[in-house]
Amino acid sequence: MSGGRRKEEPPQPQLANGALKVSVWSKVLRSDAAWEDKDEFLDVIYWFRQIIAVVVGVIWGVLPLRGFLGIAGFCLINAGVLYLYFSSYLQIDEEEYGGTWELTKEGFMTSFALFMVIWIIFYTAIHYD
Amino acid sequence: MSTMFADTLLIVFISVCTALLAEGITWVLVYRTDKYKRLKAEVEKQSKKLEKKKETITESAGRQQKKKIERQEEKLKNNNRDLSMVRMKSMFAIGFCFTALMGMFNSIFDGRVVAKLPFSPLSYIQGLSHRNLLGDDTTDCSFIFLYILCTMSIRQNIQKILGLAPSRAATKQAGGFLGPPPPSGKFS
Repeated sequence: MSGGRRKEEPPQPQLANGALKVSVWSKVLRSDAAWEDKDEFLDVIYWFRQIIAVVVGVIWGVLPLRGFLGIAGFCLINAGVLYLYFSSYLQIDEEEYGGTWELTKEGFMTSFALFMVIWIIFYTAIHYD
Repeated sequence: MSTMFADTLLIVFISVCTALLAEGITWVLVYRTDKYKRLKAEVEKQSKKLEKKKETITESAGRQQKKKIERQEEKLKNNNRDLSMVRMKSMFAIGFCFTALMGMFNSIFDGRVVAKLPFSPLSYIQGLSHRNLLGDDTTDCSFIFLYILCTMSIRQNIQKILGLAPSRAATKQAGGFLGPPPPSGKFS
């Protein structure tokens, strides 16, 4: 039994299939928030991944960080930060969502492509423009 | 702003526009039809019901219960197949449009370095990233590689923002039949 998420809260309806209401984001940073709707939580993981992709892409493009190290670094940060978030901070029971792997791969490919695009744009703009 | 960076931004813009165009065509031909709405609601309802049933079933569950689940799975498979058939109309229309568009963009950007890659791609990817480019600099990026990356990143996000992405339960249950709905963008 994972701790820290057991308060009862009225369900917060999300917009259809993927977009999130503002009220959902207010739960994101609360370690004691309840996540009755699995899809809602998975959408939060998804959008967190996209945000990380943008942030890391910008930083890597500005530094610049080149080569495979940049790609590996992104993968580690993306997987690591989210793992720490749902495992240590929220203390989610991963089995409820299909296991750690399901949570890790949620939105990963899309975020990877987004990271590549942002990285390429900033790298081209700052170091080759 | 250099020509190369202008090309980079232009390709991102083209990708956003083509993703919106694909969703627009799909909305006109598929999403707004009653048949699609009905099938989608049915599939989502059945998927969630089936998922819940599978979670609660035990090893010692009777044959009758297991047979009931099999029947529900079969029904869901049929509905998923019907849903895919409905989507096929838009897939043909999008495929036709995009073949023409991609032909046009390929000729516009032929031989042009549209961005610089901060890495050297693996050799089998260079066929795409260095397509139709002169020279041996593997960090030169061609139109098609950047377009593919943009489409991969932008299309699903647009679907999620617009609320058009299929539900996870439906995608999971559909995985055993035709797989998740294929991307409606096409590139040659």
